[in-house]
Amino acid sequence: MSFTYLVTRPEYDDTTHYLSDWSKETIKLAENQGLKVLDLQREKANKNEFEGKMEKFSPVLVMINGHGDIDSVTGHKNQILVKVGLNEGILKSKIVYALSCKSAKILGPRSVQAGALNYTGYKDDFIFVYEPELISRPLSDKTAGLFLKPSNILIESLIKGNSVRESFEKSKNALKKNFNLAISTSESDSTTARFLWWNLRNFSSYGDLDTSIRQLPN
Amino acid sequence: MNDGTAEEIKKLVIARLEAIPKDKKISIGSHGEFSKENLIEEVKSGSEVGRKIIEIELEFLRALKKGIVL
Repeated sequence: MSFTYLVTRPEYDDTTHYLSDWSKETIKLAENQGLKVLDLQREKANKNEFEGKMEKFSPVLVMINGHGDIDSVTGHKNQILVKVGLNEGILKSKIVYALSCKSAKILGPRSVQAGALNYTGYKDDFIFVYEPELISRPLSDKTAGLFLKPSNILIESLIKGNSVRESFEKSKNALKKNFNLAISTSESDSTTARFLWWNLRNFSSYGDLDTSIRQLPN
Repeated sequence: MNDGTAEEIKKLVIARLEAIPKDKKISIGSHGEFSKENLIEEVKSGSEVGRKIIEIELEFLRALKKGIVL
């Protein structure tokens, strides 16, 4: 069976550059697992392209990287991709992960009301610490990895066919492990602890937790 | 919260922010990316980002105190 994974990867500031680079790992895994990948990178992460690909290919799994607010997520240069009252129905029958700020607060539950199978994201700002001298090589940034590796675990687990519940727990456990590591080691590492704790506190999943891509029509 | 308490809280938060290494930056979503010095200025000025940082610090400290961090 062939499933489709759609990922948006705007790149226009340090934050989106980091999220985009770290998402490459999920693309590699999806391809290795035989999924068709729709990669909306840079300018392609816009509303028209997003809606067009969603309608034409009906991906089962959608990862949205970018900035967001309580009722929206954005693409390249902060263009709206999905907004409550505008087009949240585009997420119908999808498993969605939004690595963006705040969108799980209102867009999450409203997209589930509109038919999304599951929406996982953050109810408040997603915060991460990074090393600016590694901006050209984000995957080498171990500090950012404390935040972004647990995030990838969620989507990688979903790609492997695990349920949202199992994937969400794996991701949370990785965040907890990194938090415990940060708070129990040096002072410099402990400065990251508060932000790991904050992300964990706001990490939320709405809708059917027992669904997986295996249970969906391809 | 009276002005004296608010100022004490700002001082506490700034003292904790001072521990952030100089070679690190913090991404706070659509608010942007901040160095330690930037964050301290945001807290001092009482901006939206500064208030968010104070909220995070206070809630984190309360959670630590209650032993219900995770």
